[in-house]
Amino acid sequence: MASKADVDMPDLNDLGKRVRSLSGPVCGGALIVCAAVLCGVVIGETSIGFDVVLKTLSNNFLGTALSVDPIESGLLWNYRLTRAIVAACCGAGLAISGVVLQALLRNALAEPYLLGISAGASTGAVLATVAGLGGGAISLSAGAFAGALTAFGLVVTLAHFAGGSTAKHGSVQIVLAGIAGSQLFNALTAFIIAKSANAEQAKGIMFWLMGNLSGVRWPDVQVAAPVVILGFIIIVWHARYLDAFTFGTDAAASVGVPVRRVQAVLILTTALLTAAMVSIVGSIGFVGLVIPHMARFLVGHSHGRLIPAAAVFGAVFLVFADIASRILIPGQVLPIGVITALIGAPTFALILIRGQRT
Amino acid sequence: MSLRGENLSWKTRGKIIVENVSLDVRHGEFLGLVGSNGSGKSTLLRMLAGLRSPSSGAVFLNAEPMALMKRRDIARQMAFVEQQADTDDAITARTAVHVGRTPWLSPLSPWSASDDRIVQDALAAVDMIHKANQPWNTLSGGEKQRVHIARALAQQPETLLLDEPTNHLDIRHQIGILDLLHRLGKTTVIALHDLNHAMMCDRIAIMKDGRLWDIGTPDDLLTKETLRAVFDIHGHFVTDPTDGSRFLRFAA
Repeated sequence: MASKADVDMPDLNDLGKRVRSLSGPVCGGALIVCAAVLCGVVIGETSIGFDVVLKTLSNNFLGTALSVDPIESGLLWNYRLTRAIVAACCGAGLAISGVVLQALLRNALAEPYLLGISAGASTGAVLATVAGLGGGAISLSAGAFAGALTAFGLVVTLAHFAGGSTAKHGSVQIVLAGIAGSQLFNALTAFIIAKSANAEQAKGIMFWLMGNLSGVRWPDVQVAAPVVILGFIIIVWHARYLDAFTFGTDAAASVGVPVRRVQAVLILTTALLTAAMVSIVGSIGFVGLVIPHMARFLVGHSHGRLIPAAAVFGAVFLVFADIASRILIPGQVLPIGVITALIGAPTFALILIRGQRT
Repeated sequence: MSLRGENLSWKTRGKIIVENVSLDVRHGEFLGLVGSNGSGKSTLLRMLAGLRSPSSGAVFLNAEPMALMKRRDIARQMAFVEQQADTDDAITARTAVHVGRTPWLSPLSPWSASDDRIVQDALAAVDMIHKANQPWNTLSGGEKQRVHIARALAQQPETLLLDEPTNHLDIRHQIGILDLLHRLGKTTVIALHDLNHAMMCDRIAIMKDGRLWDIGTPDDLLTKETLRAVFDIHGHFVTDPTDGSRFLRFAA
């Protein structure tokens, strides 16, 4: 019976081949992301020579002591580089969250922003910091995580009671529930900030509703990078299981997927990714919607390829969206969510009209 | 391989759907589950497949309680085909069959040439090789169902469970699917609507109001009295002059 009895004990040769066959795409993806981040460092309102960029990077990474203007070097290292890295992390994290939610909910329109998860994370973060819920014992990130989970639970429950349990009608119900959820949580966020006496300490309402990368520094990189790498590994590990959800949960269970456990692990992972990103940059919309569809169009539906592709495209997309937000209007920085929504909303419409997955 | 349900019951919102059903599936047999709409045959099948946990009672696969088994281990021994499982994803028929390899793969033991071969064999068994690379949404209902059966075969199970796989298919595809399942020769439990299809089973289990009415050969069970009592119809057998086989004629 067991034609593949070695299934639990992988052949080391096979594993070696697998590693070798993967090394190309992995290096390629990493290179593309690094190139995008470099663009994010080079391009800005103040034009700084490419030699200064190289010298700064060399000084910081390789420990050289080349002479550069300390102001320019500081701007590059502490502002633009951190900003670009966090944008890349955030884009990757939101894009793979979108892939997971679309697969698990069998819904082409599922993504953290449209489902209200980002809005919930904002409310949670604001409750923990501005309103001081939990007496300071709850950190911003923990508040965001709790908010993200609460919002997801609320939206799914609402969709369920609205008769959205069947696959055919669930698509519409869950998006409607998501709109209701987003509106509620965004209103709560605005209310809490407006009411709070020390609002000036807090990030503004626009930050939580539209996203902003302005305040990003190295400590934020130290949160964003590990979270997105961890989330990516967990999600890639479940890639084949996500493929099995193509025909719904019963079909997944009948090919051996421990459905409840996989759903729980992956939903928690997306909530963690969304919460971490929202607590650093506010809620940025549509990345989780646009990027997975684009990636699916280019590399197909197999999650083994789709997840890495979505991560790379998401990272690159958000780095360039950030560049656009900085240089589009001279002397003014747009919230990055404005750029992503300008691209995302028409895509949303396109998916609605086509009525099915690309 | 043995599959056994013991005192299976399933309730939802205070309503009893299946009540105290015990049933033993014999190795290699073709067992039909018949009964009117809402008689509980679909739910019983899902409990046997391990997709619904019984409210009480237990299912045993090779004498092991299924509730304690890993999903992966169940899926290596038993495959389930739903009535209509559809997707909007733009996947090919072959990709749909790939999913059947899930219980044999893990992140550390990825897809190999032998998996390709098994998928190819499964597609050949259901005569879908020529359409293997066609997009899912271009396949007809009968073709989709054949691909689902190929997906089930790619699991290399000993037992197939099928929930009315011929529903919504035209007559040619109905006969084609049943003929295919008979030729596969695996232990098969199949929920059926058409009593003339049930005549082709080795044994049938008749469900009525959530209970097991009786289990036995179609010749023994499908009598005028049973048809009247279970299905509320009059029926009598007619012998086909071409091959001497019996079939049912009904009247309200």
